[in-house]
Amino acid sequence: MEAATIAHEGHGHHHGPPEPNRSSRVEAQTLGMYLFIISEIMLFGAFFTAYFFIRVVIGDEWPAENMHLPVAVAGVNTAILISSSATIHWALESAKSGNRNGLKVGLLMTTLLGATFLAIQINEYVNIGFPPASNAQASIFYSLTGLHGAHVFIGLTLLVFATTRAFKGHFTEKEHRGVEIPGIYWHFVDVMWIVVYTTIYVI
Amino acid sequence: MTFAAKLKGPGWYRALLSVPLSLAFSTALVVGVRALYGWDPLFDGEAITTVALIAMPLAFLVGIGCFDYWFYWAAGKPTRDEDHSGHGAKTWKDYFRVNTDHKVIGIQYIVTTFVFFTIGGLLAMLIRAELAAPGTQFVDPNTYNGLFSVHASLMIFLFIIPVFAGIANYVIPLMIGAPDMAFPRLNALSYWMLPMAGIMMVASFFAPGGAFATGWTAYAPLSTEVPLGQQFFTIGVQFAGASSIATALNFLVTIITMRAPGMTFFRMPLLVWANFTTSLLVVIATPFIAGSQFFVLFDRALGMNFFNSANGGDVIMYQHIFWFYSHPAVYIMMLPGFGIISEVISANARKPVFGYRMMAFSLCAIVVLGFTVWAHHMFVSGMSAWLRVPMMITTMLIAIPTGIKIFSWLATLWRGVIHLTTPMLFALGFITMFTLGGISGVMLAVIPVDIHVSDTYFIVAHIHYVLFGGSVFTIFAGLYFWFPKMTGRMYDERLGRMHFWLSFVFFNLTFGPMHLVGVDGMPRRVADYAAEFATWNAVISVSAFIFGMSYLLFLYNMITSWRNGPKAAANPWRAHTLEWQVSSPPPLFNFDEIPTIVGGPYEYGVPGAVHGVFKKPEPVAAASGGKE
Repeated sequence: MEAATIAHEGHGHHHGPPEPNRSSRVEAQTLGMYLFIISEIMLFGAFFTAYFFIRVVIGDEWPAENMHLPVAVAGVNTAILISSSATIHWALESAKSGNRNGLKVGLLMTTLLGATFLAIQINEYVNIGFPPASNAQASIFYSLTGLHGAHVFIGLTLLVFATTRAFKGHFTEKEHRGVEIPGIYWHFVDVMWIVVYTTIYVI
Repeated sequence: MTFAAKLKGPGWYRALLSVPLSLAFSTALVVGVRALYGWDPLFDGEAITTVALIAMPLAFLVGIGCFDYWFYWAAGKPTRDEDHSGHGAKTWKDYFRVNTDHKVIGIQYIVTTFVFFTIGGLLAMLIRAELAAPGTQFVDPNTYNGLFSVHASLMIFLFIIPVFAGIANYVIPLMIGAPDMAFPRLNALSYWMLPMAGIMMVASFFAPGGAFATGWTAYAPLSTEVPLGQQFFTIGVQFAGASSIATALNFLVTIITMRAPGMTFFRMPLLVWANFTTSLLVVIATPFIAGSQFFVLFDRALGMNFFNSANGGDVIMYQHIFWFYSHPAVYIMMLPGFGIISEVISANARKPVFGYRMMAFSLCAIVVLGFTVWAHHMFVSGMSAWLRVPMMITTMLIAIPTGIKIFSWLATLWRGVIHLTTPMLFALGFITMFTLGGISGVMLAVIPVDIHVSDTYFIVAHIHYVLFGGSVFTIFAGLYFWFPKMTGRMYDERLGRMHFWLSFVFFNLTFGPMHLVGVDGMPRRVADYAAEFATWNAVISVSAFIFGMSYLLFLYNMITSWRNGPKAAANPWRAHTLEWQVSSPPPLFNFDEIPTIVGGPYEYGVPGAVHGVFKKPEPVAAASGGKE
């Protein structure tokens, strides 16, 4: 590896690799997030496959006798999560137009709405009255909602990072990927919840 | 540096501190939760092991420093100005640190995977020693089951899949004219997750009840009922899978956004195409094995009922979800090899790859068709009968794009000026062996044949013809081919050829007869067999030992040549692709001046044809200047 170091001795001030050629209009980070979301969708797909086998192929009653799903409460929770998609969009638009207060408030509101969703979900688990081990229907109920809950948690973590950075004065009209990319993920988490809510609670 | 500073900073000291801490944390967590719920006993070894298997690798990754930059970034703190501090390797010690240089990571990958290949190979030797004669030689049936399970899991998850990622990591940014991968820190994290999975799988031998003994397929409900060793597989696969997805995502973004000017998709070398399509497979399919192992974990650890038919679970569901990943995984283990072979054959036959576009399209066709054949692994599982015939037809269809590739390679060789170098020998060996494996694959697609030979040695023969004669031969071809580029030194050609001929002959003597005993009904995954198979098995075992020893030639050649082989020229193969236009090994950031691509990558023998031109050849970079 000696040759590797000699070739660059003249570039003492230079840190990191030189700029690569941009061969696509898509930003690397945005594309990376989209690809990650594809693999996340497939992970949910595996869980929905299990749901399909348990509910359709085996064909036992859904929800099982002991399962009383709080459809209305979860509906309200759905509304909370969907509204958080609107607030993160507002935060991003504020960042783009240089409205720092809008950015901060939007991010803070999104984080709080997401945290509320998660709190209501945990409260639901505590009071729902059947354990995951009771039957296969209960297992897939907890697994799918739990998997989604884990994704809300990941999304919230990203949002906390973005909020912290926003309050520390980061992000400008030009450089706001730190809001945009967690935002893409947050929209995905919301849309995925609509699918989970529809399949588990509604139909 | 003081000892306290060493413990605070990223590295082995902090990792060796954080791992025991995470073990203590796991124990405290389990005991605490059990005390809270009033469960008995308070100290549950299986629960603690499960939590520790997740917490300890994560603690190691934090300790070694995979997340430092992101922690600073997330907290809005200033990141260190030299965010590529880990770039380049000055001494061998730099290979044991978190390093963001794709060339260093590539070598880290290759060396690590060969360590696990060696362990997996030793396990295979033990298997053959046990099977050398009928009856029990020296391991009991349960240990035997553990041997072949860990052998297969290491070979698949810790060798073939990641070694291709390693080769691609080194070569792809060079081939497309990029200074590094798109996400260098994610790249480092993907690498460091890999040894976690491997150590876990090997460590399962020390678990009470022995190593996981359910094969690499870990079918439920067997896997939800066997002893603790299974947990090491269930969780280990998650780390290997996460590593694989992260690398694939990185390759896709790198190939899409960082190609040199003028490099359109149809000017990319076929290795880049191969890794592009493989990465699509990984990103789309790998989450399914994660899902299947999550369900096993939930059933084992939380008492859920996914695979408990008494409570509404479905055991066939495991196989559907597992094979929806693991059939595409067969192509994940093969497509990068196809790419390597295209490079090696065209450079060594001094001819353009025949049907370049069809080569690329057939890769895409394999990606699409690869998702439609999974249930051909399940003809005898008791799945819905109507699914059989469609799966048979799609399985036969997938032989068409594969056949296109085989015939295109043959047409590339046709009237070429063939140089029988070691990589070329392995490439030619690959074509013959893989064709045989492909033909037995088409035989297995036929439902009645499959039912007859299911779970016999015919399957073992088939899988080794496609995965050893196929994938591993391409890996050897690729390593010999890029060895001068990676190390700056030349390997010993004579030893390389000896390695090829010994492996080629004894590979066939080992796995060829397995077809025969398989058709006669010798079951796989059993430690003993009927006396009528004794002669063939003795032959197979002796051949396997010689075959195993031929690998030592390879190791010796690689190690001694890396230490003091003759210095390699920048372009010993007179190849046209970009990685050969820079010095061996390449400069720290690959290119002093990003080249412009003006033609296809394989225009060998075409007068005046050039793949890439370097606009401003500086005097320092004379060796990396334009072509003739």
